[in-house]
Amino acid sequence: MEKTVQAHMPGLVARVVVNEGESVHKGQEVAVINCMKTELSVTAEWAGVVKKILVKEWDEMEVGSPMVVMEVN
Amino acid sequence: MLSVLNGGIETVVEDWPGRIGYLDNGMSASGAFDNVALGLANLLVGNSPGEAGLEITGGYFEAEFGMDTVISVTGTDMKPTLNNQALPLWESVKVTKGDIIKFSHFGEFGFRAYLGVGGGVDVPLYLGSKSTCLFGSYGGYNGRKLQAGDVIRFGPVTQKLEALAGRRVKESARPRYVREWTLRAIPGPNASPDYLTEEGMDFLFSTPFKIQHSSNRSAYRLQEAQGLSFARPDGGVAGSHPSNVLDHAYAIRGTLNICGNTPILLVADGPTLGGYMCALSVINADLWKIGQGTIGRDFIKFEYCTQEEAIQARSEQRAWLSESSLT
Repeated sequence: MEKTVQAHMPGLVARVVVNEGESVHKGQEVAVINCMKTELSVTAEWAGVVKKILVKEWDEMEVGSPMVVMEVN
Repeated sequence: MLSVLNGGIETVVEDWPGRIGYLDNGMSASGAFDNVALGLANLLVGNSPGEAGLEITGGYFEAEFGMDTVISVTGTDMKPTLNNQALPLWESVKVTKGDIIKFSHFGEFGFRAYLGVGGGVDVPLYLGSKSTCLFGSYGGYNGRKLQAGDVIRFGPVTQKLEALAGRRVKESARPRYVREWTLRAIPGPNASPDYLTEEGMDFLFSTPFKIQHSSNRSAYRLQEAQGLSFARPDGGVAGSHPSNVLDHAYAIRGTLNICGNTPILLVADGPTLGGYMCALSVINADLWKIGQGTIGRDFIKFEYCTQEEAIQARSEQRAWLSESSLT
């Protein structure tokens, strides 16, 4: 089943820290958003495999913007 | 008391008017970013409007109450729940030991929510205030934002909880949240004709500026202002850009710093001095609106105001933050 990790705050993508095909565990950081001059971790709510990365550095995020598609176990 | 389960994006202890009187020592006033929402939250639970509460920025704060008390939530609607049941805003509610409060993210309008608690948040006074200064790492709770595992104590409640619960802010007294915030402002201290042309000032007072993502409790950075027209070709000995001036004291909270072509509102934890011109100053009565401006989404527009109107507005705000606003 596909699930999408979404931005939880508005900001700019600082970096994506996983690669397509990589296995991640629940709670693992998958990306970082720059917001209010701090870095906020975006974490996976599920264990699974990264299927597609939808964002790149400096992309502008709103709450709910899709960031990473996962194939969830 | 309250045990923090999730500190959320940024939750800090703030009071009002904050740590005033120390600008000459390089210490900003800090204090609630939205003193109106904090003030009304406090009045609901029987506190004075300037008592310390929790300022929740962005959202995702979660906590468990360790005692029976009365609370209130004001500000942006973060869809708060108490034991997974919707918690009304602008209303005092009795809570019991073991109750769990949770906030989602900021609402359709506004960016900060406030949690008022009976007796106020009990942290040590530091230089006359309980407020947190994030960049200086002092005041509030250990000088930082809250995190899971923190235990926050409350002051004593002098009235019966049942008498305090169920109070509401009148509809007419609830602040109106928008996406384009109009801030009344007085020109200067560095305005036309010495620093900006009249056209430059007209541009500042007529253009809606989008709030940038980098904005925080120190500064609200607005979108670059290409229409700014400077009166000087450069900053002289202070620097090559005409926004440069020799270092001077900043009129915080609320002055509009012009840093190159970027207007930046210096706010709660803002710097007390620096080397950029300040073209206008937001009046005290409108500072709260900046705190509800949502980064990356909302706009700020300035409206010309006289000193007399500013004094009148402050007087009206004092009346607003009183028992007469409750029902």
